[in-house]
Amino acid sequence: MSDATIEVLDLRKRFGRTLAVDGLSFRVEPGTVTGFVGPNGAGKSTTMRALLGLDAPDEGAALIGGRPYHALRTPLLEVGALLDAAALHPARRGRDHLRWLAHSHGLPAGRVDEVLQQVGMETAARRRAGGYSLGMRQRLGLAAALLGDPPVLLLDEPVNGLDPEGIQWMRTLLRTLAAEGRAVLVSSHLMSELEDTADHLVVIGRGRLIADTAVSDLLAAASGDRVRLRTDARTQAMELLTAQGATVAVTGRDTLTVTGLQARRIVELLNAADVPFAEVGAHRATLEEAYMELTRDAVEFTASAGIDEVAS
Amino acid sequence: MTTPTRTPYRSRLHPARAGFGRLLHAEWTKFRTVRAWPVVLGVAVVAVVLVCRLGASGSSTSGGGPVTLGPGGERVVDVFRFTHRPLTGDGSVTVRVTGLRSADGKGIEPWAKAGVIVKQNLDEGSRYAAVVATPAHGIRMQWNFTHDTAGSASDIATTPHWLRLTRSGQHLTGYESADGRTWSKIEDVRLPGLPRTVQVGLLAATPAHNNVHRAFSGTSETYGGGTVTATYDRLALRGDSTATAWKSTDVGGPGPNGPAPNGPAPQDAQPGRTDVSPSGTYTLTGRGDIAPALDGPDMVQMSFQGVFVGVLFMVALGTLFVTGEYKRGLIRTTFTATPARLKVLAAKTTVIAAVTFTTGLLATAVGFSLAQRVLRHNGFAPPEFPDLSLLENPALRAVVGSAALLSLVAVLALGVAAVLRNSAGTIATVVALVILPQILSFAFPLPAAQWLLRVTPAAAFAIQQGVTRYPQVKVNCLPESGCYPLSPWNGFAVLAAYAAAALLLAAWRLRRRDA
Repeated sequence: MSDATIEVLDLRKRFGRTLAVDGLSFRVEPGTVTGFVGPNGAGKSTTMRALLGLDAPDEGAALIGGRPYHALRTPLLEVGALLDAAALHPARRGRDHLRWLAHSHGLPAGRVDEVLQQVGMETAARRRAGGYSLGMRQRLGLAAALLGDPPVLLLDEPVNGLDPEGIQWMRTLLRTLAAEGRAVLVSSHLMSELEDTADHLVVIGRGRLIADTAVSDLLAAASGDRVRLRTDARTQAMELLTAQGATVAVTGRDTLTVTGLQARRIVELLNAADVPFAEVGAHRATLEEAYMELTRDAVEFTASAGIDEVAS
Repeated sequence: MTTPTRTPYRSRLHPARAGFGRLLHAEWTKFRTVRAWPVVLGVAVVAVVLVCRLGASGSSTSGGGPVTLGPGGERVVDVFRFTHRPLTGDGSVTVRVTGLRSADGKGIEPWAKAGVIVKQNLDEGSRYAAVVATPAHGIRMQWNFTHDTAGSASDIATTPHWLRLTRSGQHLTGYESADGRTWSKIEDVRLPGLPRTVQVGLLAATPAHNNVHRAFSGTSETYGGGTVTATYDRLALRGDSTATAWKSTDVGGPGPNGPAPNGPAPQDAQPGRTDVSPSGTYTLTGRGDIAPALDGPDMVQMSFQGVFVGVLFMVALGTLFVTGEYKRGLIRTTFTATPARLKVLAAKTTVIAAVTFTTGLLATAVGFSLAQRVLRHNGFAPPEFPDLSLLENPALRAVVGSAALLSLVAVLALGVAAVLRNSAGTIATVVALVILPQILSFAFPLPAAQWLLRVTPAAAFAIQQGVTRYPQVKVNCLPESGCYPLSPWNGFAVLAAYAAAALLLAAWRLRRRDA
């Protein structure tokens, strides 16, 4: 069993009547950033808490490097975690927060300064945490996760609250950390946050695995046979194309996404019917769309799907 | 898997074993880096010292009447009817006690006394040994006020009983017998400092009747009456005596100058009487007691009024040290750094106990010393109130015990906080357990009040009691007089048991519940 893996094996966790995680299994390999995606309440945080030994699984296992968390002798050197950036005592300085963590593992004082520098918090860490912005808390939380220089990182919604510059910084940092051979699991309820960051995706809904796939495969599949059509005569085009057996979705004021017909055939049909159009092109799916595609069938997501679908 | 597996990363840091010492270091860092907590400790010290000092300045005494000190320097009562002869060298006195009854129309006190005594001289407080019969506590051998050994449980109200006391050098041996033929030894004691010639004879004494009236507005304790008549026959003295006849003396009074027999002297105190019948029956009527004096104010306890205030600070600290982490989810970071939750609980307990004990000790030592100075200034001076050294018991026990009390209260709060995970609930619970019983005890009927002070952590305040209680002296243990029904260490053990129970419950919940 390699050291730097995260494994969730048939994990089940119930809170009262709610089944928060229902037979979830996945594996995170070293050297990748794995996005852990699902809407709020899908079971992401519960899974992460189980991995960190905070919640005891009802069934199954959540393992770090093949071992349950409580079996780790120096956990900070093996797993870095950012669960809740707000988990700071407001009267304690950021630096002191890292110092007690360092003391618990006998880490040298210089290590605190190193990670503060790494997250750009050298100055702010001298202030009390009560006055931090959400972005500062995220950076301090990341510093805490990096303190033990661990090969595994578990980050729950780390870009939440960061400004665009901060998001860019975080992306670069996560990719760098993974490039060093670490296994990085990053949860998010917004797929767009993982664009250009994640190599791999674990998508869950209602505590169950929906997809466990490489990002490149997912995008290729999602782009698939979809065609993007720009036209001012939206209604006409929709009627025409659905009559030919296509599925047409309105994706913008003058934009339609057509599934089930080749681009060339669409152009022929539109020309034949004299329907004006500005552009027809192969659709390049965004990660967000791919995610929607994935979760479209899951009942619980239809309400929040965000795309008006026109039945064929 | 479509993702290629890479060489796993390895931490560049040395895998340091996360031992308990490191955990203590981490928790100590947590404690001292929230500025309010060390500040609260400092304020607690100042508050405890100030209230100890102010509390003491509210007490003053005009010095009171003359004081009788026993051979050990302790305050004693030495008032009784004594029918005596001098005895030179070794010898013994034997008598049969035929009765002991109240002579004032009220019931007889359980510790009324009739018996034989060997006494250094006729001065109050001088050395003695006595074998006495009592109405409720059987036959006893008592010596030098503070010592008491039980003999048989014979009841002289129903059956006459023989008593004997022999002197052999410094040794005094007490015997008793039901028939005057078969004797059993009660105790053999050494009384150094006894002169060659001593006074031996019969005694009659009874503590005054004592009534307590408790009400919301206040408590009044009244002492009154108390006279007994003891009857004897078959009196025999063996040994050399310079006198041929028995003389009688009221040791320690009576009269306006007589000292109080474990309480204020009754106004109507009558002189004692001794009647001798031609058939050799001796009838002694007397009052008083031969025992340690327990009616005085407790100068030790009076010096610790600030500890009550300190308790509130300690409850707050013990609570916030835990709930501060639960409130913000910081406890998850703690358990992520140290998955062994019970070790975390142990480390937190150790840190809070050490911190509160150290500061508590500073507060109680300084508070006690200042309070003692004030009390001294207000008239609580030797010889009636001997100097108390901080480094000797009972002051040492009270000072260290009060600091330990403060520390245990903080630990109790920490344990309850780990169970309830909520500041308001924890503080309310612990204050209700530690402080409320004190307040209620003033209002409740005496048995209920004493029960409260036995079974709640408030019992631990007994650790501050400076007055040694003796079983051979009946005392009304009144909460408003600062009396706690349990002995200092037993009371302290009650609080320790509560703290231990809270920690066990906390440990059980920490293991079972998700963080």
